[in-house]
Amino acid sequence: MKHTLLALCLSTLIAQPAVAEFHNQPHAAGIETYGYQWNTPDQDMNRALAHPADAKKGEAAYKICKGCHKADGSGLADADYPQLAGQHASVIIKQIMDIRAGRRDNPRMYPFSGDWIVSAEEIADIAAYLNALPTPGSNGKGNGYNLAHGKALYEKDCATCHGKSGEGDAGKFIPMVAGQHFIYLKRETRESRDQGRRNASPEMVKALKSYTDADVEAVSDYMARLSVAGKR
Amino acid sequence: MPVLKPRMLAAVVCFAGTLASAGTVQAADDAAKAAGIANEICAGCHGVDGNSVAPTFPRLAGQQKVYLLRELKDFKSGKHVDEVMNPIASRLSDEDMVNLAAFYAAQKSTPGIVTNPALLPLGKALYMNGNAKSDIPACSSCHEEDGSGGGKFPRVAGQHVEYTLNELRLYATGKRTNGARVMQAVAERMSEEETRAVAEYMASMP
Repeated sequence: MKHTLLALCLSTLIAQPAVAEFHNQPHAAGIETYGYQWNTPDQDMNRALAHPADAKKGEAAYKICKGCHKADGSGLADADYPQLAGQHASVIIKQIMDIRAGRRDNPRMYPFSGDWIVSAEEIADIAAYLNALPTPGSNGKGNGYNLAHGKALYEKDCATCHGKSGEGDAGKFIPMVAGQHFIYLKRETRESRDQGRRNASPEMVKALKSYTDADVEAVSDYMARLSVAGKR
Repeated sequence: MPVLKPRMLAAVVCFAGTLASAGTVQAADDAAKAAGIANEICAGCHGVDGNSVAPTFPRLAGQQKVYLLRELKDFKSGKHVDEVMNPIASRLSDEDMVNLAAFYAAQKSTPGIVTNPALLPLGKALYMNGNAKSDIPACSSCHEEDGSGGGKFPRVAGQHVEYTLNELRLYATGKRTNGARVMQAVAERMSEEETRAVAEYMASMP
């Protein structure tokens, strides 16, 4: 009897029509997988990177992003929608492609990034458009209490790759962190430490391993306050 | 004098016919054909000029041409499941569909009907700004601030409340799957009140 009930329960569970199945994000191997290699380009990404990007076309295609990331690319500090204005085109392409392929989990954004709504070429155009936008300095910041500690951590662990001013490196797909929203930086840094950001670079995860939540907060606040000359 | 075989003759006549209907003659011809079909098949539900009266049938006047053509094709192929439109669209040729899309896009839309004005402020806020708490993007980003849409994004201004509500519910429950998966995600994230409010606001847009 027990078994019959259990089977019945299970079958109702399985028989439930999966409403969200049309926009369920796929799952691809990431940092949790043995032999993971950061930034292994796939076909989709190569197509976008090879495309001669057109920022004007990107402005039109950006429509689909604008509803959350806003017309000026500034995102939304409180909702942790990242600030995208002035970000490296290569970084935007990589991150969207990682979401498309399921290497970076983002079920919220996934329905708005698939090939049913944007082509790989359009993603390159959007990335070029965003890269050319000025980075607003009005991004969300932390409480400012531990900036000296944040600076020390940043210079010790982060600056080698993300640059002294947080400028990142377009050629190496390393994001500009300067002027990013504090809440977003805090969440992504913590997620990277805990291997929840599955497309993170193993080097970064290693560097963050010993970070306490307070360290993450301090370094995020410091990054949010950085600015890159000529970007504003 | 060589005598043309019947098949050849047919081909020659066809070719001559194609030449005669080139250019502007062709355009006027297409519009007339579309108006004929619209009158004969579509007007009963969608109104003579695409401004349907019954709130369950969408208003098509001034709708985006690209969107109309895609919908007609999806109705014909069965990608957009609709028991009324599927059999009707199956009788239309590709040419008919192109002509019909152009015909309805060119019609002038009349103002829509708001059924619950109390919901308009909430509807406007959601339409213009979305709701970040539940990851609902602003409708205006794709459908434009004036609701006119563009290309594959349909015009929503002046649409019947009941039709919009029904479509949003079909999206939310995974029953309308053609076109944009985007709309399934958006509709699924909207509360009942938000869905009603946004449908009212769309109807209020001129």
